[in-house]
Amino acid sequence: MVSITDFFVKGNAKGAARKKKNDDGGDTKKTTIDIIDLDDSDLDIAEVKSPVKRESIVIDTPPSVKKQIDKVIKKEEKPPSKVPVKNKSSNASVTAADVLATIPSVDLSEVHIKENVKFDFRAAAISGDSEVSTQGDFPEGQDNCLLGLTVVFTGVLPTMERGAAENIARRYGAKVTKSISGKTSFVVLGDEAGPKKVEKIRQLKVKAINEDGFRKLIAGMPADGGDGDAAEKARLKKQQEEARVLKEANEMAEEAEEKELKIKQARLSGDFVKREDLIREQDKLWTVKYAPTNTNQICGNKSSVNKLKNWLINWEASKASNFKSPGRDGSGIFRAAMLYGPPGIGKTTAAHLIAKDLGYDILEQNASDVRSKSLLNAGVKNALDNMSVVGYFKNKDDVNDVNGKKFVIVMDEVDGMSGGDRGGVGILAQFCRKTSTPLILICNERNQPKMRPFDRVCLDVQFRRPDANSLKARLMTIAVREKFKLDPNVIDKLVQATRGDIRQIINLLSTISKTSKNIDHTNISEISKSWEKNIALKPFDIVHQMLSGRIYSDLGANTFTLNDKIALYFDDFDFTPLMVQENYLSTRPSVLKPNESHLEAVAQAADAISLGDLVERNIRSSEQLWGLLPLHAVLSSVLPSSKVAGQFAGRVNFTGWLGQNSKRNKYYRLLQELQYHTRLSTSSNKISLRLEYMSTFKHRLLDPILKDGSDGIPSVISLMDDYYLTKEDWDYIMEFMVGPESTDLLLKKIPSTVKSGFTRKYNSTTHPVAIYRAGVSTTGSTTTVKPDFEDVVDADDSVPATDDTEDGKDDDLKKDKLIKQKKAPVKRKASSTATKKGAAKKKKA
Amino acid sequence: MSKAALSLELPWVEKYRPHLLKDIVGNEDTIERLKHIAKDGNMPHMIISGLPGIGKTTSIHCLAHELLGDSYSQAVLELNASDDRGIDVVRNQIKHFAQKKCHLPTGKHKIIILDEADSMTAGAQQALRRTMEIYSNTTRFAFACNQSNKIIEPLQSRCAILRYTKLSDEQVLKRLLEITKAEDVKYTNDGLEALIFTAEGDMRQAINNLQSTVAGHSLVNGDNVFKIVDSPHPLIVKKMILAPTLDDSLLILRKELWDKGYSAVDIVTTSFRVTKTLYELKEPQRLDMIKEIGITHMRILEGVGTYLQLAAMMAKLSTHKLSTN
Ligand SMILES: Nc1ncnc2c1ncn2[C@@H]1O[C@H](COP(=O)(O)OP(=O)(O)OP(=O)(O)O)[C@@H](O)[C@H]1O
Ligand SMILES: Nc1ncnc2c1ncn2[C@@H]1O[C@H](COP(=O)(O)OP(=O)(O)OP(=O)(O)O)[C@@H](O)[C@H]1O
Ligand SMILES: [Mg+2]
Ligand SMILES: [Mg+2]
Repeated sequence: MVSITDFFVKGNAKGAARKKKNDDGGDTKKTTIDIIDLDDSDLDIAEVKSPVKRESIVIDTPPSVKKQIDKVIKKEEKPPSKVPVKNKSSNASVTAADVLATIPSVDLSEVHIKENVKFDFRAAAISGDSEVSTQGDFPEGQDNCLLGLTVVFTGVLPTMERGAAENIARRYGAKVTKSISGKTSFVVLGDEAGPKKVEKIRQLKVKAINEDGFRKLIAGMPADGGDGDAAEKARLKKQQEEARVLKEANEMAEEAEEKELKIKQARLSGDFVKREDLIREQDKLWTVKYAPTNTNQICGNKSSVNKLKNWLINWEASKASNFKSPGRDGSGIFRAAMLYGPPGIGKTTAAHLIAKDLGYDILEQNASDVRSKSLLNAGVKNALDNMSVVGYFKNKDDVNDVNGKKFVIVMDEVDGMSGGDRGGVGILAQFCRKTSTPLILICNERNQPKMRPFDRVCLDVQFRRPDANSLKARLMTIAVREKFKLDPNVIDKLVQATRGDIRQIINLLSTISKTSKNIDHTNISEISKSWEKNIALKPFDIVHQMLSGRIYSDLGANTFTLNDKIALYFDDFDFTPLMVQENYLSTRPSVLKPNESHLEAVAQAADAISLGDLVERNIRSSEQLWGLLPLHAVLSSVLPSSKVAGQFAGRVNFTGWLGQNSKRNKYYRLLQELQYHTRLSTSSNKISLRLEYMSTFKHRLLDPILKDGSDGIPSVISLMDDYYLTKEDWDYIMEFMVGPESTDLLLKKIPSTVKSGFTRKYNSTTHPVAIYRAGVSTTGSTTTVKPDFEDVVDADDSVPATDDTEDGKDDDLKKDKLIKQKKAPVKRKASSTATKKGAAKKKKA
Repeated sequence: MSKAALSLELPWVEKYRPHLLKDIVGNEDTIERLKHIAKDGNMPHMIISGLPGIGKTTSIHCLAHELLGDSYSQAVLELNASDDRGIDVVRNQIKHFAQKKCHLPTGKHKIIILDEADSMTAGAQQALRRTMEIYSNTTRFAFACNQSNKIIEPLQSRCAILRYTKLSDEQVLKRLLEITKAEDVKYTNDGLEALIFTAEGDMRQAINNLQSTVAGHSLVNGDNVFKIVDSPHPLIVKKMILAPTLDDSLLILRKELWDKGYSAVDIVTTSFRVTKTLYELKEPQRLDMIKEIGITHMRILEGVGTYLQLAAMMAKLSTHKLSTN
């Protein structure tokens, strides 16, 4: 065994700076611990980086802004527009344009455009221009010095990540946009800028500066964006905004106090108090405590809320017209509405508040209730009917009673119907068509195949992630009421980190404020980082990130390590390899080695992908070598991506493998069926049937009809009988043809009278049928052919996607399918599963 | 009963599981917040996520105990991966517990602890959503998990998310020293170093290895620890991969790994792990090397776990090292 201390000594030399000694004499004489860590260099990197980051945060605490807010609180009545615009800078008449003019523009003709893939940037950088001065810390600018300016960053900046640069610009009050337009004040241009952008700059004659210039600009600009119209306007707008926020905040605070008072009085006077109200406010979750109490308080999504409200208001009228008249917004034909959108943005809240506002009582079912077909039938259906009866009498008795018990059924978390809720979705969709009580459905992902049955049977109301502005007032209120300081400028960050999830932000605030009473620029980065939602990325996002050149550059590899890349694969290890394989050809590589051609890189990537395939075979073999998964991650995804990563040339495509694979399965199945049918007259196996008979079949089955029209039919039918082919088989055979043999166009040429004549003729006589026992799927034989097969195939199709235990790969599965179908020859059953299959279909999209 | 016999009966990880929040080492900020919560009551729903063995379960238990004191047994429902937590359990057992009346001091709530929540199915998690909201005035949820991305977004949205970071070597050391003192263990420094190194920030593993070493060899020194851990030492593997010449690599492979009896699979898996984080080399180089290691790995799994295969792997690796240098 090697002496460990040896390594420690070696390690010491390397990490001497970080060596920690525990010299306090006790029972440990000496402990040198942290040197052996393999991650050392990782840590070093982190340490080197962090001071830079921190610096840029500190720069920016805007005391002036805070002061202004305080002032506005005091003089709340004062209309904001009259707040005088103070100019804090001494050099009174400096405008942004002045400062910009002092900064040299980038010579556009010298900008390296991305298309130039063979160009060696490293060489250019060495011989090149402004390497020297760009090193070092970022200059400290005046507060809000970029106010009123609109900036676009493009290309790779020499010393900083683009994201970091954008953050700096934002921090100083600039508006950062992605595309260049007439409104753009200036562009910060780096290497490898997109050719279109450069063209745009030329066209619009926008000022273009480099990273160096950007530093100079920040160093040179006076506070609050100096003079000039744009800055002035932006300043005004900002102040108005702040004043509005604070006003609303105070209003809401008052309202809440009023409510508290009322409850107190009620309790004193012995009135009835709801049990909810008896719970002390401070013992409630903040999300409950600060839940909106009327629809006006719902932040964002105003139009969606109104849409739902109008629908419910008009519901009775629509019902009277039997849901025939669409009404102004077209919502009159729906008995049910479907709210959908990401979590925590007020869907449940909106549904409840609107129903309450309009005097409805709520019957709620959610994912914690079993909602299988039979239970829904028993429960809700009865409820629907009963309710309608009750409602009917009620309405008759006292038509004017607004509080008459009208009910809304709220089906929350519809996408939470799963496992035990067989058939629930289907039956729910049926209710949507029939219900005599308003029905509100809520879900997160409307586009899931599972939700397909609800297409066109309910009014779709989408809720979007609200933006920072619509939340400001509400969050500030909470801050005021909970007595902690929240810098309005950091709300953007919070919104970004939680992806606009209001509930999450409230939860975050409630937890953070336990220990820190001040949330501003100094700690926001850390907070938002640790609260960043950690959700598994979707295949599209994964492959987008995986194939982006940035993370493979030397700098990028340090921040986004190999482990991170592998983790990306593990976010969805079924789809990532497929998606990489689908898209690895559609990048413009930015990672090519000198003298390496795109094609060579592609070859290497393809080589890795094929190795990955071998590994996968091993993993999913009977031996189940899951230990190889990290290797698969590297070979199937990371390694190929590292060869060709770059900018996407087009859009990211969804993997075609699933479709192709299911097509293959389908044809295989059809072929098998044909083989069973023709077996009495042929002596070939499936493959040779396809290779040797099929094309002849096609000619002899199609040509007579094409040539002679109806007269050709008898000869075709007699050939079919010779080979025991059914009418469906005729269609399949046509489907098999590809390339120049393809029958699509030919089939269209047959007049429809001939076609129907053919069918009629065929059906009017009896035909010999080959009877076979071996299992074969024959679902198609009684119903119309085409749609049914699509269904069968698509059901297969969905398996790899939905099934976490992924053996979506096939043969077993196909067998299963066949067995199942054999067991269910009854037509009725087939059609009852049709909805489910139909649902599966969407998966492909 | 002798002390040694006693200590064998109770695993040290349990014996030295902290009972108060203040005894938990590491993650100071988060623990500080938990202490405030323990003091003020009104615990939000929360998710604690982080690597194994860094005190997630322990923290939740401590918090629940400090919040509820004697009512713990009636006001806490704990389910972990070994319990059935399918959708039916969520819809019945958990919902019933949430509805249950329970007399607690004001400001205190029933707590449902769902440990290893990342192993719950998405369906079961979905079924928790409304329950968490409707009964939030009486019941709060605490989840512990290794990967928070296995928790569906709607649940994350309902919770305060606390991320535990890997414990630092000093923090692990601190706890190990406390235990060695309490158990009166004989140790050398390199023994502790080896424990900390092999634990990779996992306190549970460090304590377990400590106990096993003490049970097996009574003295905790480096050699004994690595005997217990029984895997090729990553540093040796690293040395092998980075050796300046192929001959050096092969010498290390033969003398320090193969002859010591480590299996071919152990050697390649450790090589894979080491290469992944071998920051001395550039990433493209590492990727190419991983490819070679992987190919060897597959060959070995196919049954060819010979020295020759490993030697071939080293040869390939050294050409990769040369090619880009
Ligand atoms: N638009 C909003 N305005 C104000 N508060 C909101 C808003 N959206 C959410 N909240 C806060 O978050 C809490 C939860 O919102 P709600 O239950 O409506 O979310 P949801 O959209 O139904 O989410 P999920 O899809 O997870 O069920 C509310 O009680 C409220 O405190
Ligand atoms: N931070 C810590 N301070 C003190 N002891 C700790 C700490 N973390 C872990 N331990 C020790 O390790 C044991 C296991 O910890 P715990 O069960 O809390 O881990 P965990 O984070 O829940 O891991 P897992 O993810 O595997 O469930 C505890 O019994 C305790 O002895
Ligand atoms: Mg909801
Ligand atoms: Mg645990």
